[in-house]
Amino acid sequence: MRRFDYHRAETLEHASRLLAELGDDTFLFNGGTDLLVEIRERLRRVRNVVDIKQIPGLSDITYDETRGLTFGALVTVGRLERLPLVCQRYPNLRAAFASLGSIQVRNRATVVGNICRASPSADTIPPLVADGAFVHIYSRTNMRVVPIAEFFTGPGRTVLAKGEIVTGITVPPAGDTAGKAYIKHGRRKAMELSTVGVAVSLSMEEGVCCDIRIALGAVGATVLRAPQAEAMLRGTRLDASAVRSAADKAMEECTPISNVRASADYRRDMVGVLTGRAIKQALETFA
Amino acid sequence: MNMTTPIEPREFKIVGKSVKRDDVLEKVTGEAQYTGDIKLPGMLHGKIKRAAIAHARIKSIDVSKALAYPGVKAVLTHETVPRVLHYGSPHPRSASCTKDQYILDDKVRFWGEGVAAVAAISEEIADEALDLIEVEYEALPAVFEPEDAAQPGAPLIHDVGPGGNLVLDPVRVNRGDVDKGFAEADFVLEGTFAGGRPHPAYMEPNVCVADWDGSNKLTFWTSTQTSFMVRGILAEVLGLPLTKVRVLVDHMGGGFGAKQDLFQHEFLCALLAKETRRPVKMEFTRHETFVAGRSRHPCKIWLKQGFKNDGTLVARDMKLVYDSGAYGSHGPGVTIVGTTAATSLYRCENVRLEGRCVYTNTPINGAFRGYGVVQSYYALDIQMDEAAERLGMDPAELKLKNVVRAGDIAPSGHPIIGHGLEICLQHGIDVLDWKALWNRDRTPDPKRPHIRTGWGIGCEMHGSSAYPGIKEQGNATVKVNEDGTVTLLTGAAGLGTGAHTALAQIVAEELGVRFEDVGVIHGDTDVVPWDIGAFASHTTYLVGTAAKMAAGKVRAAVLARAAMKLQVAPEEIDLSEGKVFLIAEPDRCMTVSEAMGPSRGIPAANIVANGTYEPTKSYSFAAHFTEVDVDTETGLVEVKRVVPVHDVGRVIHPIAAQGQIEGGIQQGIGHTLTEDYVIDKKTGRSLNAGLVDYKMPLSMDMPDIETIILEAAPDPGGPWGAKGVGEDPIIAIGPSIANAIHDAIGVRFHHYPITPEDILKALREKGA
Ligand SMILES: Cc1cc2nc3c(=O)[nH]c(=O)nc-3n(C[C@H](O)[C@H](O)[C@H](O)COP(=O)(O)OP(=O)(O)OC[C@H]3O[C@@H](n4cnc5c(N)ncnc54)[C@H](O)[C@@H]3O)c2cc1C
Repeated sequence: MRRFDYHRAETLEHASRLLAELGDDTFLFNGGTDLLVEIRERLRRVRNVVDIKQIPGLSDITYDETRGLTFGALVTVGRLERLPLVCQRYPNLRAAFASLGSIQVRNRATVVGNICRASPSADTIPPLVADGAFVHIYSRTNMRVVPIAEFFTGPGRTVLAKGEIVTGITVPPAGDTAGKAYIKHGRRKAMELSTVGVAVSLSMEEGVCCDIRIALGAVGATVLRAPQAEAMLRGTRLDASAVRSAADKAMEECTPISNVRASADYRRDMVGVLTGRAIKQALETFA
Repeated sequence: MNMTTPIEPREFKIVGKSVKRDDVLEKVTGEAQYTGDIKLPGMLHGKIKRAAIAHARIKSIDVSKALAYPGVKAVLTHETVPRVLHYGSPHPRSASCTKDQYILDDKVRFWGEGVAAVAAISEEIADEALDLIEVEYEALPAVFEPEDAAQPGAPLIHDVGPGGNLVLDPVRVNRGDVDKGFAEADFVLEGTFAGGRPHPAYMEPNVCVADWDGSNKLTFWTSTQTSFMVRGILAEVLGLPLTKVRVLVDHMGGGFGAKQDLFQHEFLCALLAKETRRPVKMEFTRHETFVAGRSRHPCKIWLKQGFKNDGTLVARDMKLVYDSGAYGSHGPGVTIVGTTAATSLYRCENVRLEGRCVYTNTPINGAFRGYGVVQSYYALDIQMDEAAERLGMDPAELKLKNVVRAGDIAPSGHPIIGHGLEICLQHGIDVLDWKALWNRDRTPDPKRPHIRTGWGIGCEMHGSSAYPGIKEQGNATVKVNEDGTVTLLTGAAGLGTGAHTALAQIVAEELGVRFEDVGVIHGDTDVVPWDIGAFASHTTYLVGTAAKMAAGKVRAAVLARAAMKLQVAPEEIDLSEGKVFLIAEPDRCMTVSEAMGPSRGIPAANIVANGTYEPTKSYSFAAHFTEVDVDTETGLVEVKRVVPVHDVGRVIHPIAAQGQIEGGIQQGIGHTLTEDYVIDKKTGRSLNAGLVDYKMPLSMDMPDIETIILEAAPDPGGPWGAKGVGEDPIIAIGPSIANAIHDAIGVRFHHYPITPEDILKALREKGA
C-alpha cells in the first residue's frame, strides 16, 4: 500500500481548512471502503487523508412527515439497512442497502461516501435519485442544498468544489400512495457490483399513476433518469402494455458501455427487463 | 510396488471417523503461522517490475534511479541474475515438463512477466522504486490464440521445443479401428467445444521468504505444494548442493495445483537476499496471483463419435488443443492426461485422439484441479447427452449403458481394480427417482413464467497419482516416543485439505494408538523424508499407504519390545488404543508408554521406521445430478440443487471428503457459469485480474448439495482401499450444468463459462 499522511478533523471547519491547505491529493476519509481500496490498488494518488469520523453532529438520523428522512454523513449503510422505518417506508433504499457488498462492508461504508464516490454503478444512488433526495453541502462560506440528480457531473465526479463537504442527505417523505422498488442485477447474490440497477418510485391515485421516476444505474456516465419512459407512464394505469412500451423507451434512453462485466447490448436489454420488473414490484406495495 | 493383497475386512477405531482436525484451533484463533506472517530481523521486501507489453525484446533497462531511491537495497535484471535455462514445473522422474524458463530473460513473452526485481526496507518503497526502473522495449508481433500461434509463419515465442509454438510433440493415442467404427455407425455426432481460463484464486497469495546464513546456506519459506521440487530446482539453478537449501512450509491457504510450479519470484527472492545479505520477503498482490500465477488451460476440442441405434458407441475421433500461455509449465502433463482420459469414461473400442499444446503470449497456464480432464470430459459428457436426445433416450439410461466398467482398461493403460462409475450413476438414479424426474411435467410455473427448470447428469473418473507420467513414490517416517506418543514425519504439504489429519488417523489406526497421540511433523526438507509433492489427488492414497507401512513396522517393533517385557511371544499379544495385551488374557496388559520406557536397567526404546511406497494408480468415480433454474429474460442460471454421488474407496475422514466434494462443486459451478480470466486479444493485457471482476461464486450462491459417498469400489493400492477425492468433484459438475441448461431451455452449449449473454443470444436464435 502506498504511504499517505493521516489527519483527524475535529470540526467541519477544520476538515474544510485541511482540504484547502493540504492541496491536491487530499481526500476526506469516511468509511474508507472506497478510498483505502483505491489507494491500495493504486487507482488514486493520495498524499493526505482527512478523517471526518470524529466530527460531532454527522451521525444523526431523523424522520418527520413533512421533511422526510434525513441522515448525516457518518451514518453507515448497515445502520440504515436495519432501521425499521427504512424497511417499512423505503423498500427501495432497503433493497439497495442490503445488496451493497457484505455485512462487514455495510457496517463501515456510508451512504454519503457511496454518493461522493459517484460511481455509475453505486447501489444507493438510483433509489435516491428516483425518490428525489437532496444533498446538504457545507463550505466555510455557505451551506447549500443540491437535488441529488444534479449532484453528479460524470463518473467519479460531483459538483463538490474544493473544501466542500457533504453533511447529509434528505429523502422526501414516503406517502401512503407511494410505491418503490430497486432491483440490482449482477452475477452473484452478494459481494457484487451492479451490472445494471433500476429504481422506480411512483405514486398512484385511484389506480392511475400520477407520478413516476425511473433511475438507471451502471448504464451511463452517471445514474440516469428515463424521462421519456416516465412521461409515457404518467396518467396511465400502468397496465402491461404501457409498461412494456415504457421499458422499451428506457432502453433507448440509456447509454451503456461494454466492459468485462457485460456488453452494452446486454445492459440495455436488462434495462428493459428490470424496468418492467421494478414497476411491477413497486405496485405490489398496494396489492 | 503394486499392492495386490485383497482389502482386509476390519473394524475401524479411527479411520472413517471425522476426528477433530489437528489444525482447527490454530486456524480459528488466527495463531496458525503462514509464510506471510514471517518477520525476521532486518528483513527486506521484494517487488517485481512487470512488463506492460505482451511480446518484446528488452533493448535496455536503466535501474540507476531505482537504486538511488532511499531505502532501496538491491535491483536485479536479466543482466545481473544467473542465466540458467530451467523447468517451470520440475517434476522429478517425469518426462512431461519443459525446460523453457530463465529467472529473467532479455525477452518478454506475456503482459505481466517480471523484468526486474527490487529489495527495499519496506514494501511501499520497493513498490515506489518499480516506477523508477526504465525499460526500453522493442515490440515483437504477439499471438494470443492457439489457432494463430500454430499458423505457419507465426511469431515464435521460444527457440526451444519442437517448434511451431508447440510445447511438445502432439500426443497421439490410437486404439482399435476408428474408420471401421464410423463405417459401422448408424449415426455420427460431431461438434466443437471450448473451455475458458478459470483461475484457482487460492486464498493465500504466493509468498516466500529467503534467508542466507553465514555458511552460505539458504533457508527458504514458501507457500508451495512441492517443497522438495522447490529445493531441487533452486539448488540446481543456484549451483548449490541440497544440503545448502532448506525449504520450509507450514500452513497454506490453498493451491489447487497451481502452487506446484517454480515461480520467478522464488528465484528472485533468494537472489535478492543473497545480494543484500539480508532476509527478503516477497508476497504477491491479488493482481499478481492472476498475471504471475497459474490458471487452467483454455482448450478447444473437436469431437466426432459414431453410435449404433441401440446407443453403443463405436468410434471416437477427438482433437484437443490446449493453450499453454507463454511457458510450458504443466502443458505437457495436462495435454497427456487430458487427451488420454478420453480413451475412457464412456467405453469405446475404436479411439483416435490427438492432443496439442501451444504457446501463446498470454499468462502461464499450469496445473489446476482436474488437470486437462475437466476440458475433455466436458466434451464427452455433453455429446453423450446429445446422443441420448438423438435416440430419444433418457440420458441416464444411455450413460449407464456406456460407462466404463469392470474389465475396461484405464487411461493410464493399466486395469482398474475398483470400478465405481456404474454404481454411482445407478445410485443417483435410484435416490432421486430419476425416471420420474426426467419424465416430469415441464410446463413452467405460472407464477414465474420466465423461469425454466432443468436437470442434468455429468460423469467423471480421475486417477490418484500421476502414474504412468510420473513414477511416484510416497515416503513416511514414524517414531514412537518413550511416553507412548507417536511422531509422523511427512513431506506432504498441508494445503488446507486436512491431509495431515488423515495421515495421523492412518498411523493411529495401523499402530493401535489413540489419534490424539500422533503428532505430525511436516514441511521441512531438512527433516522430513523426501516427498514428491501434494498433487494428483494422491496424498491419502500414496503417502497414506507409506505411513501405514511405516506404522506397521513400528507396531511390530513395539510388540516385540512389549513381548520381551511381558516375557511372552510376540504372537501372543496385540496392540489397541495404546495398550498391549495378551490375546488370551486381555487383563494382562501394559501401555505403549510402559513398553517403550526404561525399566530395570533397560534404556528406553528407540523405535523408528520408514515406509516407502511406489504405486501405480487408482481411479475414483462420480456422477453429479444437478438442477438449474434459467431466467429466460435475464439469462441468469441458478444452480438449485446438486446430488453428487462419489466412489472414493475407503473414506478416511468423512467430513474432509465431503468438504473436498462441496468445494470442488463450488469451483466447478464457477468455471461453468461465471469464472473466466479474460485476456484482451488485441494487447494481451489482463482485463479482470482481481476479485472484483473475476467472479467466483460465494457462499450465498451455493446450491443445496446432498453429498453421497459410496465405498463400493476400493482400490487395494490405498490404505484399506482409500482412493483420491481432491480433483474428482470439479470435473462432473460442469457437464451436469450444461446438460441441465439444455433440459431447461432446449439449447446446447459447448463452451464454458456459459454467460447470461450467451443464454439470451441462444434463446433469440432458437426463437427466430
Ligand atoms: C468489498 C466491497 C464491496 C463493495 N460493494 C459495493 C456494492 O455492492 N455497491 C456499491 O454501491 N458499492 C460497493 N462498494 C463500494 C463502497 O463500499 C461504497 O461506495 C461506500 O458506500 C463508500 O462509503 P465510505 O464511507 O466507505 O466512503 P470512503 O471510502 O471513505 O469515501 C469515498 C469517497 O467519498 C469521499 N467522501 C466521503 N465522505 C465525504 C463527505 N462527507 N463529503 C465529501 N466527500 C466525501 C471520499 O473522499 C472518497 O473520495 C464496495 C466496497 C468494497 C470494499
